[in-house]
Amino acid sequence: MLILSYLHRNIWRNPLRVLMTGLAVGLPITIFVLSVAVVDGINRFLDNSARQLRLAITHKSSIVYPLPAGYRGKIEALDHSRPITVCAMRWIGGKVEDKPQPLSTLAADPDTFPATFPEYLTDPAERAAWERDRQAIVVGRGTAAQFGWRVGDRITIRASVPPYSAIPFHVVSTAQDVVDPVTLFCRGDYLEEEIKRQGYPEGLVSFFFAKCRSSDDLEFYRTAIDAHFANTPDPTLTQDEKAFMSQFIAQQFDLPRNLTILSALTVVVAIIAAANTMSMNFRDRLAEYAALKALGFGRALVFALIQFESLAICVSAGALGALGPWYAFTYTPLRRFTVPLIQSLDVRLAVCAQAVGIAAAVGLIAAAWPVWLAARLRPVVAFRALE
Amino acid sequence: MALPLTYNARNLVARKLSSTLTFLIVAFVVFVLSLLLSFVAGIRASLGATGSPRNIIVLKPGATAESTSLIPLDDLGPLIQTPGLALATPLTGTSAAAEAFATGRLRVGEPLLSQELAVQTMLPRRAGGAAANVAVRGVDDIAFALHADVRISAGRLFTPGALEVIVGAAAQARFAGLELGATVPLGRKGERAYKVVGVFTAGGGALESELWAPRTMIADSFHRRLASSVCLQVRDEAAVAPAVAYINGPSVGLEAKPELQYYRDLAEKTREIVVLTSVLVGIMGIGAAFAVATTMYAAVDSRRRELAMLRALGFARRSIVAALLVESLLLCLLASACGLAVSAASSGTRQDFLSDTTWTVLAYELRMTPGIVATALLVATAVSVAGTLAPALRAARLNIIVALRKA
Repeated sequence: MLILSYLHRNIWRNPLRVLMTGLAVGLPITIFVLSVAVVDGINRFLDNSARQLRLAITHKSSIVYPLPAGYRGKIEALDHSRPITVCAMRWIGGKVEDKPQPLSTLAADPDTFPATFPEYLTDPAERAAWERDRQAIVVGRGTAAQFGWRVGDRITIRASVPPYSAIPFHVVSTAQDVVDPVTLFCRGDYLEEEIKRQGYPEGLVSFFFAKCRSSDDLEFYRTAIDAHFANTPDPTLTQDEKAFMSQFIAQQFDLPRNLTILSALTVVVAIIAAANTMSMNFRDRLAEYAALKALGFGRALVFALIQFESLAICVSAGALGALGPWYAFTYTPLRRFTVPLIQSLDVRLAVCAQAVGIAAAVGLIAAAWPVWLAARLRPVVAFRALE
Repeated sequence: MALPLTYNARNLVARKLSSTLTFLIVAFVVFVLSLLLSFVAGIRASLGATGSPRNIIVLKPGATAESTSLIPLDDLGPLIQTPGLALATPLTGTSAAAEAFATGRLRVGEPLLSQELAVQTMLPRRAGGAAANVAVRGVDDIAFALHADVRISAGRLFTPGALEVIVGAAAQARFAGLELGATVPLGRKGERAYKVVGVFTAGGGALESELWAPRTMIADSFHRRLASSVCLQVRDEAAVAPAVAYINGPSVGLEAKPELQYYRDLAEKTREIVVLTSVLVGIMGIGAAFAVATTMYAAVDSRRRELAMLRALGFARRSIVAALLVESLLLCLLASACGLAVSAASSGTRQDFLSDTTWTVLAYELRMTPGIVATALLVATAVSVAGTLAPALRAARLNIIVALRKA
C-alpha cells in the first residue's frame, strides 16, 4: 500500500513537468493515430477488393481508352463451364454545379451490377428501385454525407466526359455498409440514351468488372481474357481488383508508404520527449534512489518506481492523444473531413488501442536508460557526488 | 548588461543528454515541415511556370481537363473569329518557334490558334514500380509559336507527318526509354514506333512532363478525329477578357480559360497538402514546444543558485530572461539548420504525381526555396520562444536570498 502511494506521489511531484511531458508524448500519438487511420482505411479498402473475386478489365494501352461494349458478351462466352458475371462501367466523373469537388461516377450495366457488386443494394426496396427507375443512382455514403443527399433526393450531375451534359438522377441508395465511401453508380442504359441524344459515339465503355465464382476461375480468366483479345484493335489488360485499385493509390503521393514512415518518426519523437523527462527525473531524485538502496531496497523496487512512472505518464497521455482524434472523427463535424481516395476518415478503436500499446512501449523505452543507470547506481558514489 | 554568448553555449553542452534530445525533436519537426513544403513548392513551381498571360485554353464545357475534352469539328470554325486573335510575328532566339520560322515551317501572319490532341501512354518509371500514365500531345507547328518558351535542348524538332516524337526534359529524367534515338510505342494499341528525335524544355513548366508529336500522326495512331483542346493567343492581355467572353458566349459555346488560370486550378490539389502539412506540423510544433519547455524548466531548476548568483552580481532580470531565450534559440536554430540540411539533400530529386483531374502524371523537382527556409526558421523560433518564456520568467522572479540559501 505504501508503495502505491509512493508511486502516485512520485508522479505528481512536478505537475508541470508531467503535464508537459504528457503533451509532448500525447500530440505525436495523435498524429500517429491519424496517419495510421488513413493507412488502415486504405488497407481495408484494398483487402475488401481482394476478397471480392473481381477482375478489372481495362484497355491495355491506358485506362483512359474505351473498350467496345460488345466485349461483355465475348467474355461471358469464353468458357460456359465457368460462369462469370460481367458488368461494363463507363466513367463519367462528374461535378455538381457550382461545387468544386470532382465526383467519381460510374455508369454500370443495370442487369449485372447487383450480381457483380453484391455488397451494394442489399436492401430489397433499394434493389427494386434500381431495377425500376432508369434515373437511379447509388451514392457512396461519404459523398452523400458531404453533399447532404438522402435516399429519394433528385440530384443533377454534369458529366466531365461525353455527353458533358447535366444529367438528373434519383438517389436510390447511400450504400451505408460498403467499404468504398466515394463512388457513385448510375445506370449505363440511361447514360447511353443521353450520349445518343447529344450525338457522341455509343457502345463504348471505360472498363469492365467481372465477378468470378471461385479463385480458380479468377486465375483462369485473368489470362484467358487478355489472350482472347490480344490480336484485336483493342487489347485488354486484366487485373484483380486489388492490383487495379493500388495503382491509383501508389501514384497519389504513395500515401500508405509515406504515412507509415511519418507515423514511425512521430513515435521516435514521443520516445525522445519521454526519455528526456525520465532522465531529468532520475537526475533530480538521485539522492533518493541512493537512499532507498542504502536502506536495503533492491534493484527491483527502484526499477519498478522508474518504469511505473514512465509507463503511467505515457499510457495516459497516449490514451488521451488517441481518443482525441477518435472522438473528433466520430462525433464532431470533423467527421465530414475529406481524405484523398478513402474520403471519410474512420478512426477505429482498434487503431486507438494499437496507439495506446505503442505509448506503453514508448514509456518502457524512455525509462530504459534511467533504469539502467539506477541499477548500476552505487549509493556511496551517489551520496558523495551530492553537494 | 547581457550575458556572454559562450555562457549560453557552454550551458547547453553541460546538459548533454537533454540538450541532444531536444535538439533531435526540433530537428525532426523542421525536417518534416521543410520536406512537405518542398513537395508543394516543386509542384507549384512546375504548374506556375506554365502558360503565357496572353494564351487562352478552350475546352468542351463540362470537361475538367484537356484529357477528358473533345471539341466537335463544327465548334472550331467560330474560334478563328475570336476578337483580338493574334497573328504570328517572327520570333528570334533559341526557341523552337524561332527555329520553325527560320526553316519556313511557320509563316508570318498565321493566326495563333493551335488545335491540340491530348492522349496518354503508359511508361515505366526509372525508379521502378507501377507504370505512369504520361501525357502525349499532338501538335501542329503553330503550337510552338503559342508555347514560345518551348526550346529544343537536344536533338531536333519532329518532322511533320513523320513518326517522330520530342520528349520533355522532366519526362525524360523521370521515365525510362526516352533517350534520343530510342523508339516509344504509341497509339491506341501501342503499335506505332515513334522515334525520339529531340528533347525540349519549357521554362520548367508542366509541359516538360509531356511527349509531343505531330498532331496528324497522333490522330491517326490513336484513332482520334476530334481535337481535345484549342489554345489561342490574343494580341495583348487586355484582349483576354473579351476573347474569353466571346468563346463562352452563344456564338461559340465552348469553355475558355486563361492558360495561367487553367494551370493554377490544377495546382489546387496542392492546397490539400498544404492544409495537411499545416495540421501535422502544427500539432508536432506544439508537442516540440512542450519538449523544449520541459528541458528549459529543468535547466532553470538545476541552476537556481547559479541564476540567483548572477542576479546578486547585478545582472538585470531581463538579462536572465534574454540569456535563457538565447540559449534555447541557439539550440533550436542549430537543430533547424540540421533538419533543413537533411531535407535539402533531397532537394532536386524528381518525383511525380498523378493528377486526379487530368489522369496524367506531372514530373516535378523537390524544391527548397528561401521561403521554406524562412518558414522553418520561424517555426523553430516560435517553438523555442513558446517553450522558454514561462521557465525564463520564473527564473527571473527568483527570490535571490531564498535561492542562494537553499542547497
